[in-house]
Amino acid sequence: MNGHAILYTGVTLAFWSTILIVGICYTIFDLGFRFDVAWFLTETSPFMWANLGIGLAISLSVVGAAWGIYITGSSIIGGGVKAPRIKTKNLVSIIFCEAVAIYGIIMAIVISNLAENFSGTTPETIGAKNYQAGYSMFGAGLTVGFSNLFCGICVGIVGSGAALADAQNASLFVKILIVEIFGSAIGLFGVIVAILQASRFLKSMFIYISSTLALLNMSCCGQKLNVCFENVYFEYI
Amino acid sequence: MAALRTVSGNTGMISLFLLCVIAAAKSDEQVPLVAWASDGFALSPVNAPSAGHTVSVEELESHLNTALRTAPLSVDDFTLYGGVFGNKQDSVFQNLEAALLSSSSLWLPSVSSSATALVSTLLQNQIDAAPLYMNPDTLAQLRLNASVAALLVFRLPYSGGADMMSTKEVLSGNDEVIGQVLSIMKAQSVPYTAVFTALWPSRVIEEASPAVHSVWSRSLLQSRREEPTATNPPLEFKEKGSTCILLWAEKLVVSQYRSGKWERHDLAPKTFGEGVEPNLSGSSCNETHSRLVLNYEDVLNYRSFKLIFVMNRRHYKVSARHWFTMDLVHLEYDGKTATFNGSRYIYAPAEYSYRCESVSSSRYPQLSPHSDKDNANDWQISLHDFQIQGFNVAGKDFSYASDCASFFTPGIWMGLVTSLLMVLVLTYGLHMIMQLRTMDRFDDPKGPAISVPQTE
Repeated sequence: MNGHAILYTGVTLAFWSTILIVGICYTIFDLGFRFDVAWFLTETSPFMWANLGIGLAISLSVVGAAWGIYITGSSIIGGGVKAPRIKTKNLVSIIFCEAVAIYGIIMAIVISNLAENFSGTTPETIGAKNYQAGYSMFGAGLTVGFSNLFCGICVGIVGSGAALADAQNASLFVKILIVEIFGSAIGLFGVIVAILQASRFLKSMFIYISSTLALLNMSCCGQKLNVCFENVYFEYI
Repeated sequence: MAALRTVSGNTGMISLFLLCVIAAAKSDEQVPLVAWASDGFALSPVNAPSAGHTVSVEELESHLNTALRTAPLSVDDFTLYGGVFGNKQDSVFQNLEAALLSSSSLWLPSVSSSATALVSTLLQNQIDAAPLYMNPDTLAQLRLNASVAALLVFRLPYSGGADMMSTKEVLSGNDEVIGQVLSIMKAQSVPYTAVFTALWPSRVIEEASPAVHSVWSRSLLQSRREEPTATNPPLEFKEKGSTCILLWAEKLVVSQYRSGKWERHDLAPKTFGEGVEPNLSGSSCNETHSRLVLNYEDVLNYRSFKLIFVMNRRHYKVSARHWFTMDLVHLEYDGKTATFNGSRYIYAPAEYSYRCESVSSSRYPQLSPHSDKDNANDWQISLHDFQIQGFNVAGKDFSYASDCASFFTPGIWMGLVTSLLMVLVLTYGLHMIMQLRTMDRFDDPKGPAISVPQTE
């Protein structure tokens, strides 16, 4: 058996056997009433949830960005051997992947700023608002993390295709870039939803992001698409 | 006081050194005691006390020939400063050791401090001589009569500080005094028996408390008591002849905050025990509601005092079973009421009893005042080893006890969740690393080897 099979069977076996044995013990000792999900949710600290959210936000986003850059980068380097002209133009794809990581770190900082100390040791004194805060931060981190993960992979694979197509035929690049833009937008959706989850009162942040998008749209309006994106590209540089 | 006492014995005079410092001592503290005799006189053989046994007054009297006491002394001092770890030259008890080695000796590591306080009295009674308080200089001037028993008490100097270095100096100073006294006694050829002890320990060994520190931690139940005490049967409330409510607690402490301090009272002796019949009038129980009323008199200067446990049994749809909760705990004192809520933590399936090591309103509170303005804010209840059952009682024994301590604490659960997440991340990472392969598409083993020129 190869390494993968061993690893996956090992982990799966450990997980299911733990669940099975714990379940059997609960049943035969008639301690099923002890299985209390509400107790688990109220006794675990909201800080754990908040920090898990922050950690997942940044780490999953970085995984997505890294994966995308690795895919695109290897294609650009490979294609650039025979067609060196593609090198500079295709860095746009790398930048789209990098943007995903930037979304992740911005969200991680925003969410961590929302975490404050609270007083209270029992569920009553901690209060519903603090629990809500903990779970919201966890959810927000998860949202932005996973959406950036898949966005990064998507942009990476499309960018890889764009590089190779560009190496064959220079006119194909811009068309494929449109596909990449749509792929990048889904990462942004994740950021917007995460902000809504984390803080209902940070509408200002939402307004800021949507206004930058609108500005981008307006600045590119009336220009040819390739010129528009070259402007964007130079802005980053 | 230091006392040198001589006793007329079979073979001659025995002088007894008694050194001690007067101080009030708690009766449950332990001090060590060393006794030895001069050449030619043997202490009557006694059985050495077993380890951990604290010698009481009577036993000491029976052991006793001499006593020699000093500044606060503990067994630990002998261990710490006695050069027992191979560093004999560092020992501060050189003279003491020499004396012990040269003759028969008696070593009692743990004597109750009230016993040592009475040593001089015991010795006086034994030899019918008043104690003489002296120091080594006056001893040199004293001419001892070998045929008369005398009791000489030497007070050895001490310092009150707990500083380690000064303790060592103090003990070595004491040892020098002992050496001087013994050499004087030897020069005068007076047979003696000497006792070296103290009135209170320099280091109080804290008794390992068997009580767990919090409700949520675990300890082996068997390790809690050294000698199992006979436990009282639980309190029963019978309605129409059959037992309806069972209660047990090791301690039932109610405290009220009055004039700046908490005044405590333990109700357990009035509630549990052989022949104790507490007044349960006002109690009732039926299918859904149980109420246990304990009536007392003259508690904390209140003429009438009631402790009321209110329990309810309800059906909960989601879990599809009946649960009982202790909703309220009332304290009624001379017409006024203090109410605590308990339903948050004190619950169990209706068929079982609820047991908890500590149910209190102060530490890790399971009971909280009913409201901010309730009288309960001035009261504290603390119930130790508490077990209660208000429904489904069959006979006089408790049903299975649903304990308040869970198998996994919240901390353990949080650790498990986070660890599971890390394991998943690790699995994912390992998967990615293991699928990396070197490109071998353009490998041509038969072709020419690649040459990388050193120069451009």
